[in-house]
Amino acid sequence: MGMFGGVWRTVFVCVFACMAGAAHAGVDSAAGMISPGPWISPSRADAARFLAQATFGASDADIAHLQRVGYLGWINEQVAATVSLEKPYLDWDSPSGDNNNQNPRREIWTINALGAPDPSRSGFPGNAHVDQLRQRMAFALSEIFVVSSQNSGLSYQQWALGSFYDVLAKDAFANYRTLLEDVTKHPAMGNYLSMIQNRKADASLNIHPDENYAREVLQLFSIGLNQLNADGTRQLDGNGQPLPTYDQTTVRGFAAVFTGWNYTNVGCGPSTYNCCDADHYFDWGCAAIAYNSPRWQLPMQPIEAWHDSTSDKQLLQYPGVALANGVLVHGGDAQAEMTAALDNIFHHPNVGPFLGRQLIQRLVTSNPSPAYVARVAAAFNDNGSGVRGDLLAVLKAILLDAEARSIPPGMADSYGKLREPIIKFTHLWRAMAARSSSGRIDNFNTYPQLQDWIGQAPLASGSVFNFFSPFFVQPGEPAQRGLKAPEFQILTDMYALNTPDRLYHEIFCNYSGSGDCWAADDPGTIQNNIQRDAALAMSNPGQLLDQYNLLFLSGQMSGYMRGIILDRINKITSGNRGASAGMFRVQHALYLILNSPEYSIQK
Amino acid sequence: MHFDRREFLRKSLGAALGGVSLYSALGNLKLMAAATSNYSFSDYKALVCVFLYGGNDSLNMIVPYDATHYAQYRSLRSQIALAQSTVQANALNATPSDGGQYGAHPALGDQTAAGGNAGLRALFNAGKAAIVANVGTLIQPITGAQFRAGSVPVPPSLFSHADQQPQWQTARPDDLTAGGWGGRVSDLLASANTGSLPMVVSTSNNNVFERGNTVSPYCVDPGGVSQMSYLGGGEAWIATGNDPDSAAAYKALIAQGTQAHVLERAFADKSRLAVANADLLIAALNPVPPLPALRTTFPASDLGQQLQMVAQMIRVRATLGMSRQVFFVSAGNYDTHSDQLSNQQDNLSELSQALSAFYSATAELGVANGVTAFTASDFGRSFTSNSTGTDHGWGGHHFVVGGAVHGGSFYGTMPSLALNTNQNPNANPDDTGYGQIVPTTSVDQYAATLASWFGVGASDLATIFPNLGRFATANLGFV
Repeated sequence: MGMFGGVWRTVFVCVFACMAGAAHAGVDSAAGMISPGPWISPSRADAARFLAQATFGASDADIAHLQRVGYLGWINEQVAATVSLEKPYLDWDSPSGDNNNQNPRREIWTINALGAPDPSRSGFPGNAHVDQLRQRMAFALSEIFVVSSQNSGLSYQQWALGSFYDVLAKDAFANYRTLLEDVTKHPAMGNYLSMIQNRKADASLNIHPDENYAREVLQLFSIGLNQLNADGTRQLDGNGQPLPTYDQTTVRGFAAVFTGWNYTNVGCGPSTYNCCDADHYFDWGCAAIAYNSPRWQLPMQPIEAWHDSTSDKQLLQYPGVALANGVLVHGGDAQAEMTAALDNIFHHPNVGPFLGRQLIQRLVTSNPSPAYVARVAAAFNDNGSGVRGDLLAVLKAILLDAEARSIPPGMADSYGKLREPIIKFTHLWRAMAARSSSGRIDNFNTYPQLQDWIGQAPLASGSVFNFFSPFFVQPGEPAQRGLKAPEFQILTDMYALNTPDRLYHEIFCNYSGSGDCWAADDPGTIQNNIQRDAALAMSNPGQLLDQYNLLFLSGQMSGYMRGIILDRINKITSGNRGASAGMFRVQHALYLILNSPEYSIQK
Repeated sequence: MHFDRREFLRKSLGAALGGVSLYSALGNLKLMAAATSNYSFSDYKALVCVFLYGGNDSLNMIVPYDATHYAQYRSLRSQIALAQSTVQANALNATPSDGGQYGAHPALGDQTAAGGNAGLRALFNAGKAAIVANVGTLIQPITGAQFRAGSVPVPPSLFSHADQQPQWQTARPDDLTAGGWGGRVSDLLASANTGSLPMVVSTSNNNVFERGNTVSPYCVDPGGVSQMSYLGGGEAWIATGNDPDSAAAYKALIAQGTQAHVLERAFADKSRLAVANADLLIAALNPVPPLPALRTTFPASDLGQQLQMVAQMIRVRATLGMSRQVFFVSAGNYDTHSDQLSNQQDNLSELSQALSAFYSATAELGVANGVTAFTASDFGRSFTSNSTGTDHGWGGHHFVVGGAVHGGSFYGTMPSLALNTNQNPNANPDDTGYGQIVPTTSVDQYAATLASWFGVGASDLATIFPNLGRFATANLGFV
């Protein structure tokens, strides 16, 4: 079956599983539940809806292209596309490596998220990136494998954070086991969760290995706190209580495994600074070097003298665990023990449902059915060729599932998710063909910082628990109905005002030709191509809204909402706004759409 | 008008569970709260929770300097111990349960950071702050020996940030679905306020502490509240401001009862409420003629700015119709696994300066006796160290600050600082066996003492803190 084998299998499995699920849910018609599959050319609305899940927002060109190539063809193109990275831009921006303010990192994040031309690459401006799916997946992974510029040890280290994000992008379609080790060894993570320079115990000094990374790699990056069924629901004991996946002894075991790692010595020279070897394990000097040093970008290296090679380590226990009773017998070196420990995590049956559910939440819906989670977990457990952990297979299972491609009838009023605020901005700019004159995009270099405006920013979470929890429950009706609503955790009163205000600024200030606001015509300000639609807004405003309905709401806009916006923009005339009336109509339509309840919930 | 409370509740809850429109009507929630309690107050009181995210290392915040205890502390904290002379120079003028002499981290006495605020140590010695020793999440009383033997139930997921933060905020480690105790108290007391601004306010993030059955935190930007740009605030030069057509269109989109999807309704509810609350607060904070500036200078730190906003809201309590308020402020970066000496200096300096300024502001406003601030944190940290930092712990010491506080004293029981060794593995009776301190005072007791001062009656206290009866003392007496 060649390269299509895995996906065809997914789809066929899905057809039967979904029909069974539909029957179970009391839905009498299976017709609407069957995945359209990769062989059907999707409608414009279906294409737009797919792109809302798989990219940073639909554009006219992408909708048309997806219709031509189909879902699977599009995914295959995306997998083959050149990986967009952050590091080259940081190097281009600051060849001397002395820029530590994180602005260039936000610029290249935005460029890559938009698929905009990159001034750091040859061929600019004719070199727009096209790896939307990979970038969207990297962003989703960055909300699970969290590191943050808000940490005092990383606040000046944009190369550390940029190269960490590059790891997520490179590994987005790789194997989870690869991703797990790359993340574990990256110096940004090493700093963030203090595994770097972690040391073996010393009883005379009352020192134990640091448990920080050990705890979070289990709790957040792999298996979670509770034993799960294959469909992501929690296993319960006889008293109805959840069963823990590990205890403090296990945390200590992993903490002892993760000892003896320090910054790489690549590029190290005694004449310039100390190397991070055994004698200088804790030297600040071995880290406090240029921001663009390989030390901040390359994997950490083992320093055996500080690794615990003498104690047996209790790791995870689960049915079929390779290590007897989950115990790693002492004696391995730092790398050997890390390999064994990460293998021990990787094969835990929780990983598929734990990770699968969260990725579904990031891309598709906050409350997937257990059957949907189970299908995605099954793809994690076996990609169709007997391989466990294939993230591309997981991603295909998520996006091509019947429950992703259409809304199950029983979920009509609860399906979907609150769009993340930052993705409202990328969607706006992608849909409105926004460009800056220099190719830089510094709209997110705000004051106060972006995360204080809209509640999130790339790699800027307030803690390792991300901007919002996958288990967050919004009080009121969603809680009453037992629904999770992760993104609502950052829809506080404050952000419910500030995010619309930031969108207001981007829509009413930053359009091409604008001189309205301070910095609107700066070379690094990305400007919406409002003019593109101005004439249509005057000649046929209803058609304008139909177009935006497709681009922004995948054709789901209600008549009520359309009527309100049409009424508003019809009050703008050349009589009261002169020559700018068309642009003004576009701006009001965009503002009202982007802040509407209907658009804000991606369905 | 005849008003049958039971009938009202039955109908409301029925509608809430079965339908949608009534539940999203926030006014009805307030009505429900009013129907279930009859509190009213002639005075004003506010509780201010200062949450230190990450787990504060209180063992390096409150440190012994007498020879016996210092020697123990020194051997526990080999790499990160404060110097004896430093601690002694920052002495706290009270004797805790272990009879030792204790001092504060020098950052609590540091006045160089901002505006001449005396700091937490001075507030303690002046009787305006108390220290409650070794508080932590508990299901029931437990000793170190019982913990090591596994003979007494303990809270689930000890030592984990994501679990211990909410358990501290709910005081219900036995109920993972519980709301926060600030929220539960406010469910009961909210009807005492005549204004419609929420009783629970956060200048920080969304939090569990202020979530009840009917209340949820109103998050205010510490930098100030302004009218939405599209409704006429902000960048008015773009000339959309004050356009009634724009306001009407936006308000129609978020109008109650116009959404067909549960999450759309939740989004619309929040959007409406944010606008309505902002209108109230903007009006209250900007009277004509304008209020003169506070004389108290707050530090420019994040926590300082948050507490300044709290002080400003307390100042306009009468305009807002508030007799009881719960505030939540927070600071981060307390998870000091590494480089603790430098990080904790910064953290505690910020805390000390901000709280000290806040106390001064309440005195300036004449409400010092009505405002009580208290610290809370994920957990204390371990006796043991990771060379330059410390690990997740359990029990920890906390500050309570305010005019009503019976300050200048220690409350609760100081933990042993003895070092467990291979020769004597149980030298420290309070050690879990791996360096965490078993709490001797529960969060329930700490919280109930505060709630009692706040005005919650004895029978309601037992409802809000159902496990309180398991502990010897329901009221610790610090306020």
